[in-house]
Amino acid sequence: MARMKFICDAERCIECNGCTTACKNENEVPWGVNRRRLVTVNDGHVGERSISVACMHCNDAPCMAVCPVDCFYKTEEGVVLHDKDLCIGCGYCFYACPFGAPQFPQAGAFGLRGKMDKCTFCAGGPESNNSEEEFKKYGRNRLAEGKLPACAEMCSTKALLAGDGEVIQSIYKQRVQRRGKGEEVWGWAMAYNRKDAKPQQVKA
Amino acid sequence: MSARRIAGALMCGAVALGLAACGEIDQQAKTEKIYAGKKDTRAFESEKFGNDRAKWEAALAQRNRTQNEYLRTEPAPDATR
Repeated sequence: MARMKFICDAERCIECNGCTTACKNENEVPWGVNRRRLVTVNDGHVGERSISVACMHCNDAPCMAVCPVDCFYKTEEGVVLHDKDLCIGCGYCFYACPFGAPQFPQAGAFGLRGKMDKCTFCAGGPESNNSEEEFKKYGRNRLAEGKLPACAEMCSTKALLAGDGEVIQSIYKQRVQRRGKGEEVWGWAMAYNRKDAKPQQVKA
Repeated sequence: MSARRIAGALMCGAVALGLAACGEIDQQAKTEKIYAGKKDTRAFESEKFGNDRAKWEAALAQRNRTQNEYLRTEPAPDATR
């Protein structure tokens, strides 16, 4: 089994927030915590694009590197998970993550922070698979049920793809080849709104 | 002890001291972290798959494939696995 990855096809995403809703519902994520969210570039202008962002389950995850209590681990499938019983809610992982994936439930005054919560690739956490305890702490373990994350499976336009990195990249490549565009929406040119950015030619 | 021996010993000491200054402490942060939490069960060690890794991988591969609507709508010989 290769590494589990997400990829969002910005040409297809219609900013419906179906993925964020599916995630919230499936994992019963509390108020104020957003494991997945939509980021829109050039909002309200011609050519606006949206992408769905959550934990990217990095190969060399910075959250793992900075955690002072070493509560992060990586599964055989490359899913980055953490042990909430060990997490002290320090927030270092939040500062380290370039995607803003780690979330902290906040309650009361003085910025009280709870234990970190993030996308688990619907793979639960370090509790028995599909146990009640696992669900309460980490949400549903769909991977143990032979299913992919709810966000991707719920996506109506199939903009958000999840699963074996090799498979989903080949699906994305096939789409880009068919429509002849779409790859250029990723990268610096899009991020910094370069007008001279030209679509890259994708070779078959 | 002759003056020559003393000078030799001093020279050796100076060389050792000089070389010690050339030693470099690794400035790279060690990212080889050891997970300190509880051990997790693997995804295929579930009630549904009963520790059958191949069955679990097949189920997931099927889900992966269905994400490609080109495969569902028309035959594509060069499509994904």
